[in-house]
Amino acid sequence: MSAAVSESQDIEQATAAIHSRPPDNKTRRYDRQLRLWAASGQNALESSRILVLSSSATATAVLKNLVLPGIGHFTILDSAITSPADAGNNFFLAGPSSIGKPRAQEAVPLLRELNDSVEGEAVVKDVKELLRTDDGKAFVSAFSLVIAHNLQKDTTDDLSKLLWSDLNYPPLLVVRSAGFLAEFFIQFHEQCVAQPHTDENVPSLRIIRPFSALTQWASSLDFDSLDPTEHGHIPFVIILVKAVEQWKASHDGKLPATMPERRAFKEQIAEMRKKIDEENFDEAEAQAWRIWSDPPVPGAVQSLFGLAPLTPGLTADAPNAGFHALLRTLEAFVSAPDGPGSLPLSGALPDMRTDTESYVKLQTVYKEFAAVEKVRSRLVIAPAISDEEVDTFVKNAHHIRVLRGHRWGEWDADKEALASSLSIFPRETATHLGLAALSNLLSKAPDGSAVTVDALRAEVHKLVGDNVELPEDLESAIGELARAPTADVPNTAAFLGGMVAQEAIKMITKQYVPVNGYCVIDMVDMWTGTVGGQ
Amino acid sequence: MATAEVLVNGNQNDWSDRYYHVDQILDKPGPRTDPSFLAGEEVKKFLREACKILVIGAGGLGCEILANLALSGFKDIHVIDMDTIDISNLNRQFLFRPKDVGQPKAIVAAEFIMNRVPGVKVTPYFGKIQDKDEEYYMQFNLVICGLDSVEARRWINATLVNMVDPEEPESLKPLIDGGTEGFKGQARVILPTVTSCYECSLDMLNKPTAFPICTIANTPRLPEHCIEWASVLEWPKVFKDKKLDTDDPEHIGWLFKTASARAKEFKIEGVTWSLTQGVVKNIIPAIASTNAIIAASCCNEAFKIATSSAAYLNNYFMLIGTDGVYSFTFEHQKREDCPVCGGQALDITVNKEWTLERLIEMLIERQDVQVKKPSLTTATKQLYLQGPPQLEELTRPNLEKKVSELVEEGDYITVTARTLPFDLTLRVTYA
Repeated sequence: MSAAVSESQDIEQATAAIHSRPPDNKTRRYDRQLRLWAASGQNALESSRILVLSSSATATAVLKNLVLPGIGHFTILDSAITSPADAGNNFFLAGPSSIGKPRAQEAVPLLRELNDSVEGEAVVKDVKELLRTDDGKAFVSAFSLVIAHNLQKDTTDDLSKLLWSDLNYPPLLVVRSAGFLAEFFIQFHEQCVAQPHTDENVPSLRIIRPFSALTQWASSLDFDSLDPTEHGHIPFVIILVKAVEQWKASHDGKLPATMPERRAFKEQIAEMRKKIDEENFDEAEAQAWRIWSDPPVPGAVQSLFGLAPLTPGLTADAPNAGFHALLRTLEAFVSAPDGPGSLPLSGALPDMRTDTESYVKLQTVYKEFAAVEKVRSRLVIAPAISDEEVDTFVKNAHHIRVLRGHRWGEWDADKEALASSLSIFPRETATHLGLAALSNLLSKAPDGSAVTVDALRAEVHKLVGDNVELPEDLESAIGELARAPTADVPNTAAFLGGMVAQEAIKMITKQYVPVNGYCVIDMVDMWTGTVGGQ
Repeated sequence: MATAEVLVNGNQNDWSDRYYHVDQILDKPGPRTDPSFLAGEEVKKFLREACKILVIGAGGLGCEILANLALSGFKDIHVIDMDTIDISNLNRQFLFRPKDVGQPKAIVAAEFIMNRVPGVKVTPYFGKIQDKDEEYYMQFNLVICGLDSVEARRWINATLVNMVDPEEPESLKPLIDGGTEGFKGQARVILPTVTSCYECSLDMLNKPTAFPICTIANTPRLPEHCIEWASVLEWPKVFKDKKLDTDDPEHIGWLFKTASARAKEFKIEGVTWSLTQGVVKNIIPAIASTNAIIAASCCNEAFKIATSSAAYLNNYFMLIGTDGVYSFTFEHQKREDCPVCGGQALDITVNKEWTLERLIEMLIERQDVQVKKPSLTTATKQLYLQGPPQLEELTRPNLEKKVSELVEEGDYITVTARTLPFDLTLRVTYA
């Protein structure tokens, strides 16, 4: 026991020491991104191994944005020889001197010089050939993420089927572009996001479900006997707990539910003032929304409780095993008869108008009770999960997200779904169909010589069915594709390079929420949209 | 065919098929292209031989912008930046290496681009945009801004709006502006005097987090309050006139120590070196990928405007990448009372009992004005002047007088400030 205490003190002291020194060079270099995804996100990036199929302008633009933040390793797999056109549109080739040499080999050193800590290698092989061998399949499946740009249709089919065939195989990011139009799709079975960094659900402060320390504080405080300074410093949380208590006492134990009741509740708060300019009471009125809707468990999290894991047994080596174990623990915590019947307290407290002493006291009350609930929820947790993971999970319990993805190409085989999407999201769906049609035509003639507006329209009809009426937006999309069927233009490449890298970072760090479906981009009218994710 | 082009363009650096990709766009129109588009040689000649473009900022957006423009075929690029390279730039400003730390960004970036992309001329200027005059800005066809400073954006915006001469179409310089924060960003096209300008949208900016002085001084609750106390109140008290340099690790170290001591005294947790630096430098998180997205949108607009190969953005694109990809494209409306492009005075309603000091406070707080230390005059008198010291002293007694005693209803007040690149005219009504 005493050993454990001294150990934790050592860790605390060590952490304090780290936080009180000027940062080392690595921390300084990554400062602007560590402020977003912290050390946990950075560690995930540094352990990642990424395979990129192609060294086109778009492919190297994606890689640039992954090498800079510091992924662990990248491999470019590409058998292409640098053409004069490549030397003209790709920043990571050495201009005319790269012409005639293997493109991947030319690009790797220019990408590696962006960040000494990243490993990179070129494999000058044809992916199609590679996927025919067992060794090749094993090679591709061993990465943490695979990204493909403008890969031939049948090769993308083979690759997506392979990577879909095992839950432990890496996600696949399929990117297509021509001229001003582009799209990307992430194939994954499941993405569990413990830190989505979205602010849609504010962690509950448990004002309508107060824990004992909070109730005691509110009921022991006689507002009327306080002097004006103290009265003007009562934290809004305590004011609201008290106001709810009083309201319930005179309303059969019910909360204000209708608009008039809510107005009356606010008036009740206003009447508690001693002076008209007490800012803490203004704040209590402004924060009254926290009691209008404060479900014990937000609907989105509740629905995760019913989610069957992809692997029924949930062995420790199953994908996302830790996350699912935590999810089950959370469910057990919520339904425990002696528990609060809600998600555990996050422990976070917003700033409020009060004096230092009250704020620090309230913060301690929240932190201590959050620690109590964390210990209680830990009892059921599988031992393999680290303290840090539990902390993060509990802190973000109100936000956690689970995404279930689809196999690439599945949507394109569903005529009904395509036709329905075409009527609801015409321009996004039309652009996606145009790009799919273009890919079909390019697999017959890679130089683009078979691409015409009529040929594209005919291909689109093959995808959606002959009797589906095509929207006006389709003509805009296929006209633009016929104009530049094989163009990997620098601005589109750079735009995609940023978009795809953002998604790759989300997939690897499991922070932020990735796109589920086809993210379609039109740089003529400058819009983006997502379709096919249902 | 591509070889023929080389001869037409007469540029020895353009190898055959160099522009194979871009030329697919430039050789024929798309279904949405304006009929004025001159497909083929003419547009290529303009882009590659005549068009002159200015990039303001060689940082996170600037590095990306320079590379995209060079690859797109712009050959005469100028770049202005007053900063030198810091190690914290290297996670995204991809034209810089550890050996370049301390060197001027504009110069290093220009050299890198010229080495990597043959035949492109990048002319750097290591200094402030305010060093240059209208004649300088008049030489460009387009201006792209990748800045992190509101003040600099307001200055270039006001300068370009002022330069517009309705008789002289060439005097209208399209301004393309980008900005990012974390996974979010925006790009916009400003046609000075025609579309809404930067000043028109000033109220869209997030209000900077300002902590009330009384909280900092008396009731600190957050670690940030302790850090502000150290930098805003204690530093000037201890070091008098010595200016705080937020890039000096010794200064940050002193602030951190002082803030930590105060936090300990008040039992507040969470003061760290990194937070101290973040608060005093107002650090905005920045990553390579978001900068790539926004810089690419800016350059795409520059390319479309320079070539007419497709319609340009009308006029605002914003992107949020935190939860899936969400973007919004819309037309930001001109403000009739915009002090830069609206030409009308800003109507303000003032309480009859307000002192001049209260009016000045209101101006400082207003999100659509954003002024620090303003001086106020009317056509006939000086209400309050921030300097020189003699005039400040002379006008100081006015601060306690009621505005209604100093200015007639319907009269105009002119507001000037060092940070304001134009004179703001207010028309006063009393309530």
